[in-house]
Amino acid sequence: MKMWIYILRRLLLIIPVIIGVMTITFVITSALPVEDKLISHYGQGKYGQTPIVPCNKIDGPNATGNCPNPVYHREVVALGLNQPEYVQWGIYIENSLTLQWGTTDGQSAASGLLLGHSELPIAQVLSFYLPYTLELATLALLLILVLAIPIGNYSAVYRNRPIDQGARVMSFSGFALPGFILATLVLLGAASLFSWLPLGCQNTYIPFDHFFGSWPPASCGVPSWIGLYGQTSPTGFPTIDALIHGQYGLALDTVIRLILPALVIAYGSVAGILRYVRNSMLEVMNLDFVRTARSKGVPESVVVSRHAGRNSLNVTITILGLTFAGFVGGFAIIEKVFGLYGVGYLLAVSLLQPIDYGLVFGATLLFTIIVVVANIIVDILYAYLDPRVRLG
Amino acid sequence: MPAAASSTAPSTGSPPAGGGRRPNPQWAQVRRTLYFLTRNSLAVVGLAIVVFFVFVAIYGAAYPASSTQMSQYCGTLSTNGEINASQLQSLCGGHVLCTYAIGTPAPGANCYAVSPENPNEVGPTWDLAHFTAGPLPFGSLALEGGTNYFLNTFLGLLKGAQWSLGISAGIVGSGALIGLLLGATAGYFGGYVDEVMMRITDIFLAIPGFLLVIVALASIGADITTFDGKIALLMGAFILTWWPIYTRIVRGQVLVTREQKYVEASRASGAGHLRIVTKHIIPNSLYPVFVQMSLDVGSIPIALGGIAFLGFNIFPLNFPEWGTIAASATGPLAELFVQCSIGTCYFPWWQLLFPGLVLFLFAISVNFLSDGLRDALDPRLRR
Repeated sequence: MKMWIYILRRLLLIIPVIIGVMTITFVITSALPVEDKLISHYGQGKYGQTPIVPCNKIDGPNATGNCPNPVYHREVVALGLNQPEYVQWGIYIENSLTLQWGTTDGQSAASGLLLGHSELPIAQVLSFYLPYTLELATLALLLILVLAIPIGNYSAVYRNRPIDQGARVMSFSGFALPGFILATLVLLGAASLFSWLPLGCQNTYIPFDHFFGSWPPASCGVPSWIGLYGQTSPTGFPTIDALIHGQYGLALDTVIRLILPALVIAYGSVAGILRYVRNSMLEVMNLDFVRTARSKGVPESVVVSRHAGRNSLNVTITILGLTFAGFVGGFAIIEKVFGLYGVGYLLAVSLLQPIDYGLVFGATLLFTIIVVVANIIVDILYAYLDPRVRLG
Repeated sequence: MPAAASSTAPSTGSPPAGGGRRPNPQWAQVRRTLYFLTRNSLAVVGLAIVVFFVFVAIYGAAYPASSTQMSQYCGTLSTNGEINASQLQSLCGGHVLCTYAIGTPAPGANCYAVSPENPNEVGPTWDLAHFTAGPLPFGSLALEGGTNYFLNTFLGLLKGAQWSLGISAGIVGSGALIGLLLGATAGYFGGYVDEVMMRITDIFLAIPGFLLVIVALASIGADITTFDGKIALLMGAFILTWWPIYTRIVRGQVLVTREQKYVEASRASGAGHLRIVTKHIIPNSLYPVFVQMSLDVGSIPIALGGIAFLGFNIFPLNFPEWGTIAASATGPLAELFVQCSIGTCYFPWWQLLFPGLVLFLFAISVNFLSDGLRDALDPRLRR
């Protein structure tokens, strides 16, 4: 099969998965009361209606008690919430696919903390926060690769020796440490270890300001290209934007703020991938061509790095997709602990009471799309590296 | 004569009586697995620690600590992290805190040294005598509704073991059972049944599991207020997330198992679908499920902690699950950092560290056990 046909077929397979995911979230949302659905679509300020209002003269000549609120019922009809379930499902899928994910709730905790009591389209809010999460994810993935591949290879080469057992214990410990506990302890430790560092913009030391939050504190002066909601211009990626604006110090600061959370994420995920790297390396090391290479006198280091290492890489790449799906769920926790303005932080804040359901579902959908797309990229990479996959 | 086909399932298996000299092959496999497991020192350590925690859970369930005993240290923390003894006494419904001046002999157990200048401030202590009864460092802080309660962390961890272990066992057991039934059906019948079920499974697996739990809790949990309801919701949300993995594992294993000769022999001798699936397919597809189950039992308390950290906090006094105790320490994290920037701050580290250590120990030993189990069950990985 030609490569582009494979890619096209793989891309077309996204559609049923995404629709299926939306169907699951639709089924879960059906537990919500109609009021919450209305608020998560229109936002509190614009909607702000109750089903029953005190009657006034407009409602009728003998209006004294409670009357149905005409505005409320207009909204219900406009959203199709009075329709049968399958029609509602159709409307839900259509709105989700066309990025009409609703409006943030002006009364929710998320709006109070992040959005300054304003109501914005959820897709737009998420687009403000997505680049930061992508930067964090990229850095974490890089760290995972840098850690897992050499350690996994060494574990396989020195199988069952102390170095192998040590690597296993290390990786298991990463798996066994709860993310929020590790992140909090790392943050506390870093803040107290580096307490002698003065901030770049001021001489006094303020603990935590080096490591907590996305940017230097407001007392240092917020750069003009960082917007009201934390979005940066022109690209949205904070590090890249800082470089574009020529503020190299700020770019470095942004990266430094990303390193600790990325390390925590990588440490938690390295266990899963390390096992696969080790096992695939063990399998490759027993193959004939490795023996041939050894017998013709190729140095062991070259055999490990070039003959075996490159061939074991295929499995590593397929596992990357799984790893990614695994640690994306933890972003809400890590970003909340470190105060990083990414989608995970947004999700964590929108989960506080009163819950902003629109944002919760929007962020979940966005994370799921990221995972699906990452899996597609991994599949394509795998097909590129291993031609047998395309033939299958 | 295929051995497995003539034998009974391991659950009903008993040594053959009288005439049959041959040992039951299923039991032989269990013994063989145990043998290879005990060759792996890490797995033995893991097994020992897991067994220890099971005993702790049983002991904790039987230990007569009422919720009032666990919460007898209630009060508010001052900004420098010390407890105001007079506040404690007034807030705790007449509970009298026993204090004595530093340097004088302690009048009895559960008494706290205070400095003569500040007789109301009970500071964090490393005194071993306070470890099981004192508020600090094993005492702990749980926040609900703006009121601070001191939960004895030691008692909390002891009473929480049954919750952590019980809930993860319940979730993993239910998930594995659902996965076993669905996976066996899909794998055995194949065709459209397989195709439809596996596509649904794929969709569930596409959503990051942790997020699915969060979404389910957020939307369904809105109007559930009772304790039992919350626990049921928590378990339901986790089971909803955990079954697809088992379905996929079982299905893959069944696809291999159903082509085996003993299944063919059973079919040839006229066994029905139900008999083949329950007697041959499921017993022979169980081992990868055990490995995955042992792995998941360790990760669920951690995930529960993450859920609690994100705000789905069942009040730890009633629900002293390990992760929940730890998460309640980090409640006011952002405020804490602001306080620290001003210069006066404390962090209830003991409440984060000790549940964290317990969680870590449990999860890592379960991981060692699972790893050993995998090696012992897979002949290719045996030394």
